[in-house]
Amino acid sequence: MSSLSLYVDKGSWLNRLHPYVKLLYILAAICIPLIGGKLWLFPIVILCSICLLISGRCFRKSLPLIAFSFTMILVIFLVQGLFYHARENVMFQIGALTFYKEGVLYATKISCNILNMLLSFAVFVLTTSIPEFVDELEKSGFPPKFAYIITSVFQIVPQMMKTKDTIVDAQRSRGMETEGKLLTRMKAFLPLISPVVMSALINTRERAIALEVRGFGRKNKKTILSERTKRPIDTFLEVLLIVLILLTLVWRIASCL
Amino acid sequence: MSLIEIEHLKYRYPNTEKLALDDISLSIEKGEFIGIVGRNGAGKSTLGQAIIGLVPRFYNGAYGGKVTVNGRLVEETPTPEMCETVGLIFQNPFNQLSGAKETVFGEVCYGVENLGVEPKEIHRRVENALKQLDIWEYRDRNPFELSGGQMQRVAIASILVMQPDIIILDEPTSQLDPQGTEEVFSVVDKLTNTGITILMIEQKLEKLAGYSDRIILMDDGKVVDFDTPEAVFKRSDLESFGVQPFVYYPGRKVTTKELETYYGSGVIKNEQASLKEEIFAVKDVDFSYLKDVPIFEGLNLSLDKRPTAIIGQNGAGKTTLVRLLKGLLKPVSGNIYFMKEAISEKTVAMLADKVGYVFQNPDDQIFKYKVIDEVMFGPLNIGMSPKKAREEAKKALELMGLSGMEDVNPYDLELYERKMTAIASVIAMDTDVIILDEPTIAQDYLGRKTIGKMIREMTAKGKLVIAILHDMDFVWENFERVIVMAHGKILCEGNSAEVFSQDEILKEARLQKPHGVALGQSLQKSGEI
Amino acid sequence: MGNIFKTKLNTATIVLIPACIGINYLGKLFASFLKLPLWLDSIGTCLGACLGGPIIGAICGALNNLIYGLTTGDNITLIYAITSLFIGLAVGVTARLGFMETFPKSFVCALAGGLAAVIVSTPLNVIFWGGTTGNVWGDALFASTQAAGMPVALGSFLDELVVDVPDKILTIIITFLILKGLPKKLTSLYDVNAQIERLD
Repeated sequence: MSSLSLYVDKGSWLNRLHPYVKLLYILAAICIPLIGGKLWLFPIVILCSICLLISGRCFRKSLPLIAFSFTMILVIFLVQGLFYHARENVMFQIGALTFYKEGVLYATKISCNILNMLLSFAVFVLTTSIPEFVDELEKSGFPPKFAYIITSVFQIVPQMMKTKDTIVDAQRSRGMETEGKLLTRMKAFLPLISPVVMSALINTRERAIALEVRGFGRKNKKTILSERTKRPIDTFLEVLLIVLILLTLVWRIASCL
Repeated sequence: MSLIEIEHLKYRYPNTEKLALDDISLSIEKGEFIGIVGRNGAGKSTLGQAIIGLVPRFYNGAYGGKVTVNGRLVEETPTPEMCETVGLIFQNPFNQLSGAKETVFGEVCYGVENLGVEPKEIHRRVENALKQLDIWEYRDRNPFELSGGQMQRVAIASILVMQPDIIILDEPTSQLDPQGTEEVFSVVDKLTNTGITILMIEQKLEKLAGYSDRIILMDDGKVVDFDTPEAVFKRSDLESFGVQPFVYYPGRKVTTKELETYYGSGVIKNEQASLKEEIFAVKDVDFSYLKDVPIFEGLNLSLDKRPTAIIGQNGAGKTTLVRLLKGLLKPVSGNIYFMKEAISEKTVAMLADKVGYVFQNPDDQIFKYKVIDEVMFGPLNIGMSPKKAREEAKKALELMGLSGMEDVNPYDLELYERKMTAIASVIAMDTDVIILDEPTIAQDYLGRKTIGKMIREMTAKGKLVIAILHDMDFVWENFERVIVMAHGKILCEGNSAEVFSQDEILKEARLQKPHGVALGQSLQKSGEI
Repeated sequence: MGNIFKTKLNTATIVLIPACIGINYLGKLFASFLKLPLWLDSIGTCLGACLGGPIIGAICGALNNLIYGLTTGDNITLIYAITSLFIGLAVGVTARLGFMETFPKSFVCALAGGLAAVIVSTPLNVIFWGGTTGNVWGDALFASTQAAGMPVALGSFLDELVVDVPDKILTIIITFLILKGLPKKLTSLYDVNAQIERLD
């Protein structure tokens, strides 16, 4: 594994889209069904995210993510369907288990919300290069020190994770057991994690030096090389998404009156 | 006024008592190439870091005297400002990557971006530097996926583009393989003609002698000598400063006897019958990490008690071979026998008390807070009594030159001492076989001598020492048997004199001859001997 | 007590943050490699909090979850960035108050971290997932409280309590052991009150 990021450059229109548009899309996708307050809004937004993912040629990559949330959704259905605090009307029974209508409805709402968030995030995560995104943030005045923290995590964490197998081998070579009783396994944790921690911290000293000699944290204004500029389509989509959120808000207020 | 002026510089690291730099005064002119030599711990790196201002601003601690670079008082200039004037490159190639960029191109841009240079100018400078250092073809690669030598060149390029007046090279090749070392030295060659003032700390003194206008010899935080290479390397007391006692510099007269005394004559095959006992037998072993990408096919090898060096370029299969011997990997087919028993039936833990393995990076194993506890960890794991474990640990520490360090925190030690700790931690397990992976990395002259002594002592005790090595000089001086590997095959084996006389095979394995051998041959050719 | 939050945002502290996040990842990795019944995925956050102070701890914690969430697409983790932020903050504050100095005292630190986790997570659990946490044992407990007719918030609180507190106690023990073994030449880099002494 050389990178933490799930981003792949497929050269699709989603890749070319300005990161801020995609961020705004997440906001819209989450807000619209919640503000609108209607259950049928969820399937629309979810379907929209799926269409976007397919058009960006990364739907297949989002499938494991969906599978990941499946256990969570299952637990929610079980717990809420059976034990929802305001349970009244029985919906159906499986053996001794009684599912209540209110609980199942509530679970559906939560699950739709999870799925919706997941897919809208996927639209951003799968199509946006982190360094490019951070460049954009810097252009908008995000402090370079924080920008560095974000990009460096994506570079350094995978390198640290690579050391796992070597450390396991090195300690096993000195006769340490990594299998067996719980106590044996607990005892093995410190000899495994300590070398990583120590060398990671020792390495921070050298990396800090490497950064200082490259002018990290200078007072002057930094050059940002990124050539990306906002295209008319980016601005158009941003406005569109904001208008959609506002429309939902107006509609909700109007329907309450 | 000189470019660098140092007056009565004193420095002490926080929480320590000894002065790391003790009353240093010297001045360096623009355009000079200065070599800095001395044993590990003499204060060479500290001096380098005092010129760029990391000492004292980054480390804190106690500071005295005055350092001026290009008219600027270093102590009062933050390093991020100082870096316009002074660039620093150090040992570990990996830690020099900023981590801020995903491509080599971006990585090299990083420093100049911080300086706020115009984008057009950045592109021009970076393109030039990448081409100059032959890494243009890697510009879109992730810097973390390069080899050590390539990473180190990226680090040098990143400093060059910032156009400093002075570059400090702090043992840039000490953690690289021979190919990486060559790559970096060819870059240093190019730098010598650019007019940049260079300070280079280096253990490969022959190289340094060729480049340097003047040499600083340091010991114990003080400058012992500061003179031309001829004058410094002629001193008869070099060994007392932990510096290799004989250094060839262009024009030096050398006799064959001198070559043999200082570079050894290669270890001649030992005919003792006791060393002929077979320890490992590798029979028809096939191995691959990924299906369809075989590493070994039908590998056969027999290892007896002679100390054995395995040499070859990265990717030749050396580490895979020793991991098979240690049982960390299992052959796909074929068998490996240890003392006539097949090891495929044993677990790593079962072999732990028979075969010891010192990994290349000591930081992958050290986790205790005292050196002695670290060294006792293995012995206790394999069932030694605490008393016996302590005895063995003390003996091992003494052998590795770490007596008196028992209660020190290993991570307060320097890398070369941590390496010795790791070796001691395996020796203390009193195994029949000791496998060493690149033991000489980061060691100076004295450290290499200590490891050589350990190998002889272990052999005398009837133990088999196997080492993977890139350091041909060390192989030449210390190993009775040499195995040359390339792309998963054993190209040849024999004693060091036999192996290093086979020019064709060395060429195929892309290996170089030991310095003494090569020097002798070239001097003989030119009739200077 | 204004200096409890004193933070030195120098280069050494900045590079500490990615290292701490890496340590979090590896803690999780080794815990699952050894099949331990705990997460142990906040060791780095606690180390960051103890070395760099509460603010650094909070940044480590929050960023850890944000990045984990963004890279695995697991938005469940994403929301708990707020929890991790408060864990870092709580551990950092208690550490600055001197509760990391001895082993018995460190339990106060662990408790602070554990409680911060529980108090912040409970409302999040209730708002987003109706009270469950995704941990089998905790959720079984939650289900039984709901069956017994207890309020959602209380059930979710207990759900978190049994999951988070033991994990945080062990995490702090490990952090304590690691801190004790840190070389001096490293800790001096994070000393907020360090001064350069003159030698002439």
